Amino acid sequence: MNRKQLLKTLAMPIALAAICVYFALKQPAFLSPRNFTQLLVQFSIIGTLALGMFMILLTGQIDLSVGSGVGLIGGITAVLVTEHAWSAPAAMLVAFAAALLLWSLMGTLIVKERIPSFIITLGGLLIFRGLFWFVIHSVTIQVKGAQENLYSQITTYYLPVNAGLVLALILAVAVGFLQWRARAARATHGLPVPTTARAFGRFVVTAGGIFLVTVLCNNFNGLPVTLLILTATALTVYVLTQHTPFGRYLYAIGGNEEAASLSGINVDRVLIGAYLLMGAATALTGFMQTSFQGSSGASVGELMELDAIAACVIGGTALKGGRGTVWGVLFGTLIMTTLLNGMGLDGVLPEKKLIARGVVLVLAVWLDVRLGRD
Amino acid sequence: MSAPLLVVRDLVKKFPGVVALKNVNFDLRAGEVHALCGENGAGKSTLIKLLGGIYPHGSYEGELQVDGRPVTFRGIRDAEHAGISVITQEFALVGELSVAENIFLGRAPRLGWRVDWPEMHRRAAALLADFGLNIAPDAPVRTLGIGQKQLVEIVRAMDKKSRILVLDEPTAALTEQEVEVLLTHLRRLRALGTTCIYISHKLDEVFAIADRITVLRDGASITTLATHDATIPVVIKHMVGREITDLFPRKSRAVAAAPLADVLSVRGLSVAPAKGRPAFLRDLSFELRAGEVLGFGGLMGAGRTELLMHLFGAWGQRLGGEVTLRGQPYARPSPGESIRRGLVLASEDRRRYGLILAQEIGFNLSLSSLPEFTRFGGRIDTPAEQVRNQHFYTSLRVKAPGQHTRAGTLSGGNQQKVVLGKALMTGPTVIMLDEPTRGIDVGAKLEVYELINRLTAEGKAVILVSSELPELMGMSDRVIMLHEGVIGGEFARAEFSQEKLLAAAMGHAHAA
Repeated sequence: MNRKQLLKTLAMPIALAAICVYFALKQPAFLSPRNFTQLLVQFSIIGTLALGMFMILLTGQIDLSVGSGVGLIGGITAVLVTEHAWSAPAAMLVAFAAALLLWSLMGTLIVKERIPSFIITLGGLLIFRGLFWFVIHSVTIQVKGAQENLYSQITTYYLPVNAGLVLALILAVAVGFLQWRARAARATHGLPVPTTARAFGRFVVTAGGIFLVTVLCNNFNGLPVTLLILTATALTVYVLTQHTPFGRYLYAIGGNEEAASLSGINVDRVLIGAYLLMGAATALTGFMQTSFQGSSGASVGELMELDAIAACVIGGTALKGGRGTVWGVLFGTLIMTTLLNGMGLDGVLPEKKLIARGVVLVLAVWLDVRLGRD
Repeated sequence: MSAPLLVVRDLVKKFPGVVALKNVNFDLRAGEVHALCGENGAGKSTLIKLLGGIYPHGSYEGELQVDGRPVTFRGIRDAEHAGISVITQEFALVGELSVAENIFLGRAPRLGWRVDWPEMHRRAAALLADFGLNIAPDAPVRTLGIGQKQLVEIVRAMDKKSRILVLDEPTAALTEQEVEVLLTHLRRLRALGTTCIYISHKLDEVFAIADRITVLRDGASITTLATHDATIPVVIKHMVGREITDLFPRKSRAVAAAPLADVLSVRGLSVAPAKGRPAFLRDLSFELRAGEVLGFGGLMGAGRTELLMHLFGAWGQRLGGEVTLRGQPYARPSPGESIRRGLVLASEDRRRYGLILAQEIGFNLSLSSLPEFTRFGGRIDTPAEQVRNQHFYTSLRVKAPGQHTRAGTLSGGNQQKVVLGKALMTGPTVIMLDEPTRGIDVGAKLEVYELINRLTAEGKAVILVSSELPELMGMSDRVIMLHEGVIGGEFARAEFSQEKLLAAAMGHAHAA
């Protein structure tokens, strides 16, 4: 590995470490279990949206409407729960279905009518924001405080300490089992496998990571539900993109749409599928973000589409499609949220926060271009 | 006889790995229309690019003389300055601008720092009237027909005081009427003293307009003939006059002895480029038998690629006709459905249509076959996939560090092997190969030929499209020549001769 490659690989981890050290020195509370948990909640919310965006970007498309979508879907749920006294699960189910409907509509317009996704989703950005204000009739709908329900608890419910540990154990065992099975499958096909020591080392690191996060959270209130939602989303997206034909097709379409089509891939269906998944991720994020803010007000979700795109790009996803990883997206999200969280804790003015977000995004892409991916 | 206006002496132009022009000599007399004829790849385009200054002086060997003096063009401007204007098939016109703006593009008449619009329109109108063209100077160029665009380009070239007009396939996209109009204008220009180099595949036109004809073959000028002394068959003979070498290892076929079932049958197929457009492929009928190689030849634009793409489901709107694939009618083709039914296509443009260049070899190889590796729950059985990839990687002898190498870093021949591997992994019955050896070296070519033999020996059927007649004749059991979207002639192996095939490709099936 030459120096340039090394710098490329380490640039982002170094940046993250620098951000952490800076805020830790400035605000000792940054390292507290309480703040760690808060950071994880923010991380989970943006991360879920970014994972949906990731699949859209892989195909070379874009979705600018998700920020407004987050507001709209959260708003529909809030109105149903607080004004129409629906049960939270039923309200969320209806809002979720609405998201799938809207996104399948956008996806269909993009592939069948050949309208660029930039335009369709820019329209979506405005239309969904407008619909959102209709839904909440331009007032702020309280989600928290009025009455406690499942909806308001999404971001405030924590798994009991022991339940968290049991879940961590189950997850670690499952991951270990899957790693072992994949290795065995390679061996039966006569393919080279990593040495036992390496494989075991990998398992120890993964399991260790799972338990470390659990224990840190348990030092405060326990594992936040949002983190579980993110974990489930990330596992789903990981399996979809790395282990299914659908995921291969996302990469293929982003790499060369004409060649993908001539390879027998139904490009239209795959793209609509990607938008449907984006709708699902938007709905989940909408529930979490609205609950996190405690109320559904006019500005919920504003600029979140840009946070999601930035997280992907910082994590090495190519805007022109065909390149990116789930780990990269999670890492990019971590950098974004650490920065947001640290600045929030430090009481940085909102105007400065905006500027800092922009600078980080531009810097990350500049580094990416400068150091060259290939 | 007037002194030569332009002299081309001992021209040699090499590209890495290819000699495009070996030895080109000809001279152009003032006031004549001089036609250049040759097969695809004979070196016509390279020669024009040299004359037009696109390949600058120093990138070639040999000499160009204008008016008896050697010239060294550093770029297009130098060539234009010397009076040479090249008009290619891709028009250098800006569709959104008016005819007048296009004629004076980059040299608009000025009033101080402003454009003198009235003057520009006055002069454009005068020029168009001079040519007897009924085109409004303020009409946007995009509203013109192709023939009118061609004429606007010529008007522009003439206004630049061009003495030598080089027309590269000017009639490729014109209707017969438009061709007549163009030829009339060229005759008028000739009468006014303009010299013209005229390149066309259409020998009728060449004989209708040219004073002399220079034939190019394999990068060399073969002969220059006076039109009134020559005939179409003579020109064709000069264009092909080369021997087929033993490069093509097509095995003698036991197939002919035992007639096998048709795997693909096409009856009266007519296809338009898009809804509402006139048919481009017209009334095509043929069948393909198991174990056979059916060759398709023809000149550029004859419709070979379009036919393959249409059968595969990636081009055009079917207007009529029936396609039967392995005994089943196949009316609404799509690439996915074709692959499922055992019909595959390896495209001519590998980088554009064949490969995901940023991805690994393995990713590309299995891309069309993923359903085969999909297990319970929609998961890809990666180890099984990798084993299968390795099998094709090895058996096709792809030269790379491994199947994890990115496809974009491979040479043309190795990229072609990956494209073929992707098609073959789907287990096809009918394999359509569009220019499978274009741009690959001799060794890789031989491997492709051997692969074709292996496939047909297994009872698969191959459709081979090639622009190289020797390859087409060397590898096919039967050849169909296409000519402007219709079948120009069908030939069994015993009837193959380059003259006959080329005559059929030019729509003169009975000339040779």
